[in-house]
Amino acid sequence: MSIETATPRRQRFSRAQQERVTATAFLAPALILCGLLLYAPFLYTSYLSLTEYNGLGDPEFVGLEKFGQLFQDANILTSMLNTFMWVVGTLVLPVGLGLMIAVLAHGLRGSFWFRLPFLLPYAISGIAVGVIFAFILQTDGALTQAMELFHLPFAESRWLLDWPLNTFVMIMAATWQGAGVNALLFGVGLQSIPKEPLEAARVDGATGWRLFKNVTWPMLAPMTTVVVGLSIVGSLKTFDIVWGMTKGGPGRVSETLAITMYKASFMMNDYGLGAAVALLLTIVTVTASLLYLRRQLAPAKEF
Amino acid sequence: MQLARKAILVVLGLIWLIPIYLMVINAAKLSSDYGNATVWIPTDLSGLFQNFADALDRGRIARGLTSTFIYAIVSPLVAVIVGAMAGFAIVALKVKRAFMWFVIIFSATVFPIQMVLMPLFIGYVEVGIFDTRFGMILIYTVISVPFSAFVMRNFFSGIAHQVYEAAALDGASAFQTFFRIYLPMSKSALFAVFILQATFIWNDLLLGLSLSQDQDVRPVMTTLAAMQTTYGGSTMPVVLAGGLLVSLPTIVLFLFTQRYFTQGLALGQY
Repeated sequence: MSIETATPRRQRFSRAQQERVTATAFLAPALILCGLLLYAPFLYTSYLSLTEYNGLGDPEFVGLEKFGQLFQDANILTSMLNTFMWVVGTLVLPVGLGLMIAVLAHGLRGSFWFRLPFLLPYAISGIAVGVIFAFILQTDGALTQAMELFHLPFAESRWLLDWPLNTFVMIMAATWQGAGVNALLFGVGLQSIPKEPLEAARVDGATGWRLFKNVTWPMLAPMTTVVVGLSIVGSLKTFDIVWGMTKGGPGRVSETLAITMYKASFMMNDYGLGAAVALLLTIVTVTASLLYLRRQLAPAKEF
Repeated sequence: MQLARKAILVVLGLIWLIPIYLMVINAAKLSSDYGNATVWIPTDLSGLFQNFADALDRGRIARGLTSTFIYAIVSPLVAVIVGAMAGFAIVALKVKRAFMWFVIIFSATVFPIQMVLMPLFIGYVEVGIFDTRFGMILIYTVISVPFSAFVMRNFFSGIAHQVYEAAALDGASAFQTFFRIYLPMSKSALFAVFILQATFIWNDLLLGLSLSQDQDVRPVMTTLAAMQTTYGGSTMPVVLAGGLLVSLPTIVLFLFTQRYFTQGLALGQY
């Protein structure tokens, strides 16, 4: 502030102007890149969803026809149902297990080592996870062998061939990959809980489950919102693991919307339908994102 | 109580390691030793390097690895600088309508990537960068910018604005302040963003599938996916060896930089 009063008026003006130019220059690369390669394609896909287009000639405007098709095509309806199963399954399994692991490991000596087995798969790509589990779950593969050894029922299940079993076991594969990072996030949340309320509750005689339910869980709520939001958004986009395990098959029974979009656009050359699936997926994802986005943007109110 | 907690974690942890155990022991089997009945039983590890070599050469993993190494280093490096510049403009330079620009940049990650694939493909073909390494570097960079801007803005918010004012008082230009003061102060955050984005790019499949074709341009996960379907060319142990090979770099990176992963996740809540 003191510098401004000391500077002559004319110079101050030019400095402010200069700062604005500099600020724009700093902001421009990010804006231009996102504008050209993310927002412009976004708009074009929105337009394509209203057209019939196979990549040759020009897109032909057909209104909402493609969206009508979405809800009549049995394959796409199955894909929607599968995607829904992914969302629910991901909320129950990786999030639930992640919370359990975080709570169990919290405050333990050497908690890093206890959490390590769960974190390792997080660094592995979806397609590599798919390779591992497609191998384990193949007909007469490792899982069937192990179950037969212990004379368990359903050992002969065709894990990847029958619907909805294949979607279910793929959710298990995703759980193997994703539980650790949820545990990590919940661990960060647990660490940020102040000690005093916990101590006070303990003095009042609360232990174990009651302590967790009445004190820890409510105070963990902000992190829970983030983890739940990320899980919903992430599971809606499920592509890699399915591509690595069934490619959406057999036939098209294990497709998710992300797979359906890819197949419609890049394999069947129905750009309009692919765009309509993408837009549907986007609407659902953005709605779900609002769950945690509000919180993410909250600290920015100072501007 | 502590003992019970440890016991549950150990049992669950061992279950979690089973897939890795199965992957490693079977990736090490010569195809003559591999069979469904002995899938749980390890042999000696002599076949591992043979299978690695097969995956690299005949499975074409080696060609994908070269490209992926380039993508996973160059793109996050550029993105983290571009993102930090945007964060700097928003927080330190107090650009007009800062919050609006911030929301615009950040929101670019909210919608699924499916929403941009087809126009990118059409545009890439049109401009002549489809199936080129430049095109892949470009899209991986752009995809990483919003997250990078988001984290760096959060991080810069923690630096007192007096730092900027003091530098300006000493006659430092915005560029000097950014490169000589803000960036060096944010090394750990920059590194955290770099590692998270490098891992993300390393593991990408979808962009590789959509925007490249040639074996010398395609990223390695795309190659792995192709290897898996052409069972005629590769036996199961070789496919598993390929999977193991492409996973090792990110696992090692993750183990050695776990602190930064956690920091990045916490800063970005991502």
